[in-house]
Amino acid sequence: MEKEVIQAELVLPNKLSFKRVQMNEKYPKGQPRGRWKHLKQIIQAENYQNYPPDEPNYVNIESPPSMHPCKRICDITGYEAPYYDPRTNLRYANAEIFKQIRSLPNEHVQRYLALRNAAVVLK
Amino acid sequence: MPFISKIQRQTDYRRFPSSTPIVIDNGASYFRIGWAGEPEPRVIFRNIVQRPRHKVTGETVTIVGDHDVALLKYFDCTRSGPRSAFDNNVVYQFEIMEYILDFAFDRLGADGSKIDHPILITECVCNPSQSRSKMAELLFDTYGVPSIAYGVDAVFSYKYNQHHGVCNKDGLAICPGFMTTHVIPFIDGEPEYKGCCRTNIGGYHITDYLKQLISLKYPLHMARFTWEKVEDLKMEHCYIAPDYMSEARMFQNGTKEAEDKTRSWQLPWVPPPTEEPPSEEMIAEKAARKEKAGQRLRDMAEAKRSIRINELENESHGLGFLLKQLEQVEDHDIQSFLSATGYISRKEVESALVKVKQSLLKAKGEQAEFEEKPDTERFNLLDKPDHECTPEELKLKKKQLFLKTTAEGRQRAKRKRHEEEQERERRNQQDEQRRLKNPELYKEQLRAKYNDLSEKVEQRKRLKTSKGHTNGNNNSGNVGRGERLNPEQRERMRLLTTAAFDRGKGEDTFGARDEDWQLYKLMSKDNDDDDEGPDVDQAELARLTSRLREVDPTFVPRSDNGNSQSAEAPWSRPLTEEDYRIDFGVERFRCPEILFRPNWIGIDQAGLDEMAGVSLRRLPSKDTELEERLTSSIFLTGGSSLFPGMSERLEAGVRMITPCGSPIRVVKALNPTLDAWRGASAYAASPEFPSQTFSKQDYYEKGEDIVRGYQFQYHVL
Repeated sequence: MEKEVIQAELVLPNKLSFKRVQMNEKYPKGQPRGRWKHLKQIIQAENYQNYPPDEPNYVNIESPPSMHPCKRICDITGYEAPYYDPRTNLRYANAEIFKQIRSLPNEHVQRYLALRNAAVVLK
Repeated sequence: MPFISKIQRQTDYRRFPSSTPIVIDNGASYFRIGWAGEPEPRVIFRNIVQRPRHKVTGETVTIVGDHDVALLKYFDCTRSGPRSAFDNNVVYQFEIMEYILDFAFDRLGADGSKIDHPILITECVCNPSQSRSKMAELLFDTYGVPSIAYGVDAVFSYKYNQHHGVCNKDGLAICPGFMTTHVIPFIDGEPEYKGCCRTNIGGYHITDYLKQLISLKYPLHMARFTWEKVEDLKMEHCYIAPDYMSEARMFQNGTKEAEDKTRSWQLPWVPPPTEEPPSEEMIAEKAARKEKAGQRLRDMAEAKRSIRINELENESHGLGFLLKQLEQVEDHDIQSFLSATGYISRKEVESALVKVKQSLLKAKGEQAEFEEKPDTERFNLLDKPDHECTPEELKLKKKQLFLKTTAEGRQRAKRKRHEEEQERERRNQQDEQRRLKNPELYKEQLRAKYNDLSEKVEQRKRLKTSKGHTNGNNNSGNVGRGERLNPEQRERMRLLTTAAFDRGKGEDTFGARDEDWQLYKLMSKDNDDDDEGPDVDQAELARLTSRLREVDPTFVPRSDNGNSQSAEAPWSRPLTEEDYRIDFGVERFRCPEILFRPNWIGIDQAGLDEMAGVSLRRLPSKDTELEERLTSSIFLTGGSSLFPGMSERLEAGVRMITPCGSPIRVVKALNPTLDAWRGASAYAASPEFPSQTFSKQDYYEKGEDIVRGYQFQYHVL
């Protein structure tokens, strides 16, 4: 290890005195690490439907979809955008921006749409 | 203001008795740990872990938190991005959590065989019990902690500020965090989780949005926009506009205010050294050098040619001499005489001599006389009728016939070419005469012809591309089901319908014959472009362009523009300083706006102002007085609440929801980022704290139930 790295104490030491079980014993090298359950699976495993519905739990307290009418803004500049391009599905504010949209490479178009979560994902 | 990590190793671990709790604020962005009762946490760092490989030794090491980039160059970080233990705001990866806790305790100065202090650790609202129990297991088993308490960070922050008089006993806490935003109503000092509301939008989404926007706007500098840099930019420049639409309109109109509000970031840029136009001397020098090189080549070619001529001459002399000798030698001696020289018969020698003479002539540059056997001799057998020839002669005759036809064909082709040449010459002469007679008119005619032709070619191109589009996408434009403009399209449609026509059960014999499959070839889109027409037109166009260029000094060829320009076109002009300047105008207030309108990034949930209304509606008891009390003390905390302009916007938003005239007051936490820890520390230091914790025995006796039913009581303070 280089001197400055040791001096900065960048790296976590392998053995720590206050631990009962050290990391390298718990997760031996070369063995596959345990598969941790993601949030979706944790929620599923919780079985919240077995409990009374008015008790607050992780799923209950999520907020509902928005009731306010959605304001449409231009995908590229952020101004107000009353129009949208049927070919690419992007929103634009005026004719100059429209010209820019038409000259964008396809990758950029998909990324702009993905920002709005409107891209078509082929799986 | 950018956050600062504090990771200095503390030295006074032993000073604290075993009863002093350790307080941990386990946030999705930052991890704070310290002793109970103190005003500041001892160690703060970013809650991420990296596991790169050391370049020299090859071992995989663990690095917790964000560190000096300069030191990281010793490690190969390609396969190890920063990883977090959180999924949304719930801890799920306990291996990473363990690394983080290791690091935290280590920096707190822990040594000894176990962590012998009770721990108060924060979690999210309504944490799933599985996450809680795994965390308890980790702390009890691996670290030997005697007892644990869980609490919600937003609530601690509220209680701390309530203690300091910032907000009332009843109020609404709004906490935009890193990954989520919570709204929690407080009644009588206790959080009412039934009215709680959570939206999955936070500082992370704002930074990500900003990063994507500027990467797309300036694709040239995409590599520079790292996560950390963008986060710094966000913290420094972003603000929340009181009314988004009017701000956007102001920017769109380009008023002076908009100019003031635009911030620019100038990237380092060095203009490329301009090449001076070559001076007179340099041009003359270059020409002289070229001349010399040409001369050298010519000399070399000349030398080679003379050598070859000499050789050939020598050879011809030798062969002539040989022939002469042969004449003197008698017949039966020819064989032995010739074997020495390598030729077999006299005829061979003669033919070799002839060849050498011819190549000599060619080398000297004279016209080689093609000695052809007279036609009569060559084609002597053709006149003889078939049944009179012997088999060999028949073969010979066939050969001669073939040769004759090819020779005739060649002559015909030569004549035709000659005629075409003459025709072209005549046309050019006529053109020239016309031009000399009336130069202006001539130019006009040429230009008109050029314009027409280019129009036609472009039209055809446009038709072709739009043909592709309309065929694939039948909803656009005005090409509907019945109108196919092109005869090829009509033909293809006809084929498709006839092929698909169902003639009843058992009648379909398509495919029985091989020729049926040819139908697909006819239907194929690739075959139906007629390439003949455009090519002829394009050739004509090219000819016109060159002629115009010669004749008319002001002619500029019309290049295709519009559709065919791609993003590469801007790169054709040299990069100027402007390209290296990043402008933040609209993005400054567009990005934090998503807190109020999550629809803009596709998350279909309520924004901050609407959440307050949802929370009020969810309360079990509908009491207008209670609502008034709640709205008169709206408390903002959490890292993402530091945007300037947030309070005014929130006030305006809540005013829209509540009945007219109700009091609304929005207050900010004293220190939105640290208050959660401070509140927790104050609670941990209070004497009733030990009754709030659950110990290892409790956990192993009662198991999951204790974790499920556990609720921290906040009213004790």
